[in-house]
Amino acid sequence: MKATAAPSDATLTVDASCRAAGRTSADPRGRKPLTWKKRSTPWIYMAPAMIVLLLMTVAPAIFIFYSAFRNDKILGGVGKFVGLDNFIEAVTNASVQHAFLITFGFVAVAVILEMILGFALALPLAAQTRVNKVGAALMLLPFAVTPAVAAMVFKQLLNPNYGWVGYYLGVFGFPKGIDLLGDPTSAWIVLVILDMWQWTPFIALILMAGLQSLPGEPREAAMVDGATPWQMFRHITFPAMVPFIAIAAVLRTIQAFKTFDSFKILTGGGPGESTEIINLGIFRVGLQSFNVGLACALGVVFLIILSLLIPFMLRIIGRRADPEEM
Amino acid sequence: MTTTSSTRRGGAVARLIIGRTFLWAWLLIGLVPLLFMLITSIKPAGIANQVPPAWIFQPTLDNYASVLSAGGGKSESFGQLLTNSAIVSLGATALAIVVGVPAAYALTMRDFRARKGLSSWILSTYMFPPIVAVIPVFVFAGKLGLMDTYPALIIPYAAFNLPIVVWILRSSILQLPYEIQEAAMVDGASTWEVLRRIIWPLLVPSVATAAVLTIVLSWNEFLFALSLTRSGAKTAPVGLQQFTGMYGTDWGNITAAATLIVAPILVLMVVLRRQMVAGLTFGAVK
Repeated sequence: MKATAAPSDATLTVDASCRAAGRTSADPRGRKPLTWKKRSTPWIYMAPAMIVLLLMTVAPAIFIFYSAFRNDKILGGVGKFVGLDNFIEAVTNASVQHAFLITFGFVAVAVILEMILGFALALPLAAQTRVNKVGAALMLLPFAVTPAVAAMVFKQLLNPNYGWVGYYLGVFGFPKGIDLLGDPTSAWIVLVILDMWQWTPFIALILMAGLQSLPGEPREAAMVDGATPWQMFRHITFPAMVPFIAIAAVLRTIQAFKTFDSFKILTGGGPGESTEIINLGIFRVGLQSFNVGLACALGVVFLIILSLLIPFMLRIIGRRADPEEM
Repeated sequence: MTTTSSTRRGGAVARLIIGRTFLWAWLLIGLVPLLFMLITSIKPAGIANQVPPAWIFQPTLDNYASVLSAGGGKSESFGQLLTNSAIVSLGATALAIVVGVPAAYALTMRDFRARKGLSSWILSTYMFPPIVAVIPVFVFAGKLGLMDTYPALIIPYAAFNLPIVVWILRSSILQLPYEIQEAAMVDGASTWEVLRRIIWPLLVPSVATAAVLTIVLSWNEFLFALSLTRSGAKTAPVGLQQFTGMYGTDWGNITAAATLIVAPILVLMVVLRRQMVAGLTFGAVK
């Protein structure tokens, strides 16, 4: 260590050497009071990251809270203060209510299905065999595909005239030229399947890592005592997996609320408005109709709803990811 | 006793077979969209969207050549879009690392009282939905004349990946023995020298993980690229969608372009699978 520090001796201040000397005393808490310089150092290191984050999260949040009370249009010059009009519109408009409702429905259905299937895939995948190494790599592939590309490929596969799905369904006796994206119910099924195809692997890989990290002794002890496989799963494996399940569920829920690409490309919110989730709704109102005020009011409502997830995220991720244990 | 244990073993074997069958069925069916993309991209012109699908044909790279060449009625070559994607992804990654490393270090300083609160704040920004940011950023970028420029994408992408970057790096620093830092401090090193000469060299593998994650997530981004670019800084995933409008049913070209977008990401992700999953869970799963 001396060698690495030596070239910097020139910059060594008297103050620093005094402090260094103070630190060598046996009691680590016997430090001298912090100087202003030492107090400000971490803030200086934090500053660039904080500026970037403030610029892209806090500043936009302030902007939408401000604009939500105005009727500005992006192309229509400066608007004026309109009070709660946008919020009244936001909560009374039937298609907005529908958008929020189907967003929650989509997140709930997709996340629950992905958690169940992800666990079912993680169990056989967790055995550390050579074949499973290939399996884990294959598992990752859909997850690694650019979401916009995945949606476009699905759209081609489902093309009523040329797509593989329509053709091979026809071979097996289904009606020819079936347009799965043209009907609300089948469009929803396709959107959930695309989401499952892309994201179940993420959950499976988290749970696989979790299963592989569990100690073997409790299972061995239970086996000696004659526990059935179901009892071992129910009373040993599952309880030990709860933290990993919680992490996967929280992260996946947050990501699912951000889903945009697949809906935009696959259905564009259609047929009609049947798949227009809130992300698409805000995009359409704000960036296609340029009704900034209403879009911001919707954004405020959405942001407040999502903020309710923060405590869960901090508890579940923060505690486990933090070597300092917050 | 023997009968129960043998039926139990039979049940376990059955479960094992069911589990593995499900796993491999999932993996193989999951490959279909990717195989469709790859196979269609090497089909000769004219048969790419033939019905019934052609399975026997002379493979060709014509589609790739056509997609990457400029002109031919296209406003820009796909190569330019890929270049834009690369510039934006690498720019965002450079920015996220440059601001993220000192921040992560500050968040491990024992004298820094605000470190826990700030760590939580940074983690909680991961929840911030991009759709809520995109309208203000659209307005800001318009006012600052940054619309359709690289910085209009680089800054948001860096910001959205900072929680991941900072948390990966912070937990890596906390896992280093504190005595190393202490010894250097005793020898009179400043905090900057500790970061520069002691922590940074040990942090390089974690920085690489954080960087690759940021590259991948920026490369894949769609919403901001769609909203904030027109032509100058348009990225490949957005360009691909306009391709589908422009070329309609020229599936050979479209799937070749799609393959070009996905291929580099697939390689990075498969090589660094474990690190990717650990990183995307903020280090909560190793």
